[in-house]
Amino acid sequence: MRESLMNDPVLIVGGGPAGLAAAHALSSVGRPNILVEKMDRLGGAPILSGYAKLVPSGEWAKDAIGGMVSRVINNKLTDVRLNTIVKSFDGEPGHFQAVLNDGSTLKASAAILTTGFTHFDSINKPEWGFGTYPDVVTTTQVEQMISSGKGVLCPSDGRKPKRVAILLCVGSRDRQIGREWCSKICCTVSANIAMEIREELPDCHVYIYYMDIRTFGLLEQKYYWRSQEEFKVKYIKARIAEVTSNGGQLIVKGEDTLVKRPITIPFDMVVHAIGMDPNVDNMTLAAVFGVKLEPNGFIDRQNTYGVIGATNRAGVFVAGSATGPETIDDSIAQGNAAAMSALGALQVNVAAE
Amino acid sequence: MPIHEKHLIRPENIKSHEKLVLDGIDVSGHWSTFIETRVVKDYNENLEVEIAALPGGENIHRCWQCGSCTNSCTVNAINPDFNPRFWIYLIRLGMEEELLRDKDIIWQCVSCNKCTYACPRDVAPEGVMKATAHWLELKGHTKPSPSTIFDDVFTEQVVATGVIEDGLVLRNFFKRTGQSLNQPWLVEMIKRMMAHLPVAMLMKMGLATLVHPRTGNWGAARDAINEYVAEQDAHHRQALGLESLVEMARQEATKPFQHAAE
Repeated sequence: MRESLMNDPVLIVGGGPAGLAAAHALSSVGRPNILVEKMDRLGGAPILSGYAKLVPSGEWAKDAIGGMVSRVINNKLTDVRLNTIVKSFDGEPGHFQAVLNDGSTLKASAAILTTGFTHFDSINKPEWGFGTYPDVVTTTQVEQMISSGKGVLCPSDGRKPKRVAILLCVGSRDRQIGREWCSKICCTVSANIAMEIREELPDCHVYIYYMDIRTFGLLEQKYYWRSQEEFKVKYIKARIAEVTSNGGQLIVKGEDTLVKRPITIPFDMVVHAIGMDPNVDNMTLAAVFGVKLEPNGFIDRQNTYGVIGATNRAGVFVAGSATGPETIDDSIAQGNAAAMSALGALQVNVAAE
Repeated sequence: MPIHEKHLIRPENIKSHEKLVLDGIDVSGHWSTFIETRVVKDYNENLEVEIAALPGGENIHRCWQCGSCTNSCTVNAINPDFNPRFWIYLIRLGMEEELLRDKDIIWQCVSCNKCTYACPRDVAPEGVMKATAHWLELKGHTKPSPSTIFDDVFTEQVVATGVIEDGLVLRNFFKRTGQSLNQPWLVEMIKRMMAHLPVAMLMKMGLATLVHPRTGNWGAARDAINEYVAEQDAHHRQALGLESLVEMARQEATKPFQHAAE
């Protein structure tokens, strides 16, 4: 009986960087695990949304995350279930029972939620022109333009942009739309995209409009300063009031707050540096797994001094951007850490019996 | 040499000599131009607290200087010197002298509230403008605007009687702003009222002008309102340090008498 409890697999929900890391970590110590993914492939946002080169490694997403995917798929200890959703999750640590969307059930000793985030939908900031003007795009779309190999082109007529504006904090740090958090990585991603545009289109001027720049830690030098010193990306401290069009070009209006002067500047392309929302499924996830959400709607994580990645429910752990805006590297680290936490918790159960 | 961002330089700080020869070199006119350094001499460390104590200014501490308020501002579109974002910055830093340079335009806010809807931090900049204008008045930097006087006259009457009597409001407003009642538009309006309104209504209006109608049993409401207004007013004055100023002045004023008594 004790053996069977030990051998019940750990359930991992979500096949992004954190989930892939957790699966690999469990497999590497011989613990069987089940990785359920609601979409038809593994990889999470970097793969599903077609990211180009990742920050800060500079590796292509399809290589870096693709490598993590094949490592998990090729490991017999991981049972990958695609197009799968957990409908209910009952029981106690050591012996949970999950019902899946195909009606089947499975036993699990613990669960790790690596359910990630949802990209902010720019349609919720209509004053910035997304959905109205085709040349207003998101950072995700620019990533796709680069990763597809087609290059950065204006969607309206396919021309190469000569002037690009990147607007930061779209869907972040904004009480008007109930999103008060900093999405943490958009500044760096934007600096990265700006450099990639400058590299691909040397004649294209790239401006970044910011409230604060948060290229934290070592990213400061590699992205913030390098983008200015080597790539001549221009940073202007202004929150844009509105994006309109004169028929041919986009018109960006705002105030350059450092020189106290109004801005009305034409651009060929405007890029929204979209933030990270809580996963749209978080309410359902919270109900199914009996975990609490923190006030912004992300999955609430206990403090990390005792057990890392613990939720309010014993035996259910959480990692990655399910807990709040998170980088890929940190999501991977948290996935590993949550796997360790799950293993540790199971040891306690066994010892207690 | 041309001066870049010249609008940031105050005209009085630009110095040039019509006739100047240095070491035998003629540097007359713009050759000798230099700009005097702008120096912050002191901060009013209490300024943000003072503004926050007045109605509308409560959320000024939230501002992170994105400029959404100035971007969306109706008045800024006409007058670029009208810059709520900049004033909030000055207030939060306590740069009172800088703020006072703009005292004659701060009250021009039209309360369209576009900034309120644009602000990502719910600062409610329109409220801050209101509080700042209020602050300028309380501190004696600006005179009450005609609209404030109108509001006062209107409010005083409602509080006193519980009724709005338009004729009286108008008369008091003109009186307090030192304007003649003999306004061509007013005369014309009264003429037409006489010509077109039913006689019964005219009589009622005439009677109201004479006897000042009141709401029945209004006394308790009036007292409650007055008590609240006095409470708020005292609170505002205390926050702005006005009470202590008044007290100081009072003590100063009573000193000679004390000497005389001795």
